[in-house]
Amino acid sequence: MANPDVMVRFDRVSKRYSSPGTQGGGKEALSSVNFELQRGEFAFLTGHSGAGKSTLLKLMMLMERPSRGQVIIDGQNLARLRPSQVPFHRRKVGVVFQNHQLLFDRSVFDNVALPLQIAGFTPAEAGRRVRAALDSVGLLGMEKRNPIELSGGEQQRVGIARAVVNKPPLLLADEPTGNLDPELSEEIMKLFTRFQQVGVTVLIATHDIALIERMGHRRLILDQGSMVQGQLQEGVYG
Amino acid sequence: MADVKPSAAKGASSHKIGIQAQFGAWFAHHQLVAVETLVKLLANPAAALLTWLVVAIALTLPGALWMTLDNMEQLSGRFQASGRITLYLSPAADIEQGQALSDRIAALDDVRQTEFIDADQALDDFRHNSGLQQALDFLPDNPLPAVILVEPPLGIEARQVEQLVEQLGSYQIVDSVQLDMAWVERLLAMLALGERLIWVLGVLLALAILLVVGNTVRLAIAARVDEIRVTKLVGGTNAYVRRPFLYTGLWYGLVGGLLAWILLATCWLLLSGPVDELAQLYGSGFELKPLSAAAAMVLLLSAMILGWLGAWWSVARHLDQIEP
Repeated sequence: MANPDVMVRFDRVSKRYSSPGTQGGGKEALSSVNFELQRGEFAFLTGHSGAGKSTLLKLMMLMERPSRGQVIIDGQNLARLRPSQVPFHRRKVGVVFQNHQLLFDRSVFDNVALPLQIAGFTPAEAGRRVRAALDSVGLLGMEKRNPIELSGGEQQRVGIARAVVNKPPLLLADEPTGNLDPELSEEIMKLFTRFQQVGVTVLIATHDIALIERMGHRRLILDQGSMVQGQLQEGVYG
Repeated sequence: MADVKPSAAKGASSHKIGIQAQFGAWFAHHQLVAVETLVKLLANPAAALLTWLVVAIALTLPGALWMTLDNMEQLSGRFQASGRITLYLSPAADIEQGQALSDRIAALDDVRQTEFIDADQALDDFRHNSGLQQALDFLPDNPLPAVILVEPPLGIEARQVEQLVEQLGSYQIVDSVQLDMAWVERLLAMLALGERLIWVLGVLLALAILLVVGNTVRLAIAARVDEIRVTKLVGGTNAYVRRPFLYTGLWYGLVGGLLAWILLATCWLLLSGPVDELAQLYGSGFELKPLSAAAAMVLLLSAMILGWLGAWWSVARHLDQIEP
């Protein structure tokens, strides 16, 4: 039975990327990963480059499908989603990318408004929410600017505003502080903490160990595709 | 009396939107995309011009052919000067009866003039024209009947001619009525061929429009891969991603159709003067008709549908491959 308090559950998830050159597929990016995130929890996902952090996040976004095992988010087994349901799953998951994935052919406002426009909000309601989201990341005065004019930290915050504007119950971030100096990193992390305080489940992939230690949240550690810390033991799920 | 407080969870709970509001937003997005894509095209017409012109020319060709045929049908509907009705009288009728009938027929509404040729005169004419003088001299009797030639007025409707023929055949001393309609039948056959030609040409050129619009939309998709990827990442459905491209195709079709219409109207302006002159020289009331409003609507509508289909075809092939 699905536990309503569990936001994310990975059940013996493995992912092997099939590369055309090698016989029997490439090496496993993830092998038999088990973990759970409670609703409203804040956790870090760490590990060396290539340890499988990005793969794990992609599975949650359905940018990839697992080779084995099951991913259950908000009580929904992702393997059972039809392609036409995938967009609606993605609307429940806010994502902050390392390269922020902003569109430079439109203003900051329009970038942040995109998820709302897609979800069918009226322009008035969307405008209200976009300004609230921009206010929460401290960029209210910049809504008419083009994101290309902004600094790296500001662009990252626009990306965060876009990720949270639709009030998703789950927020993922892939190296959100990768290109930022420590002060800016700190500021961004405080932002994520504020979202957690209003009930959002937050999972941040980073290798910024110093930052993680200062923040002191739960840590999930991946090494060569295996979860070496945070892994639930086999048999936990009766 | 106490305030009714909403019991729903606050904070991060995701907001649910009513069906009606969602439909309103869907409709608003259609409007927005329709206007946005049109503005985008018109803002940079140089880039779109080539596609518009190809669509326009591909539509003008069958359009012009259709206009020609439509006008030629006008011709077939009219009985021209070359058509004469020949009445062969029965051998029993004498010259006075024949002359009297000829005069009666000449007084009819749909008859311009008549000419009575009695049997002897007919034989005389035949003897002179055929060169069979000796052979004819051996005949004991005159084998030729008396004839009345009936000439209807210019520009009479074919239907009226048919009525006239029926009426003339009903006279007692008239043996048979012959109407030279062969040229009309040939014209009708040519029109049928032309119609088939329009279909073949139309289908080929419609295919060309699909390919051209499809290719233009493919380039537009390639230029917006980032946008498509991000849109899909934040939960855009395929329909949402598709929408601007379909509208772009629609506008390519519409503008191309308008251009085709302008081209056809220009052709008509250029040709109608000389055609009138030619028709007058032939003593015909024929005049070149422009494209009717209904035909123009069909032209525009099919242009829009073809543009949309071309875009759909391209989108179906390329868009689903772009996954985040």
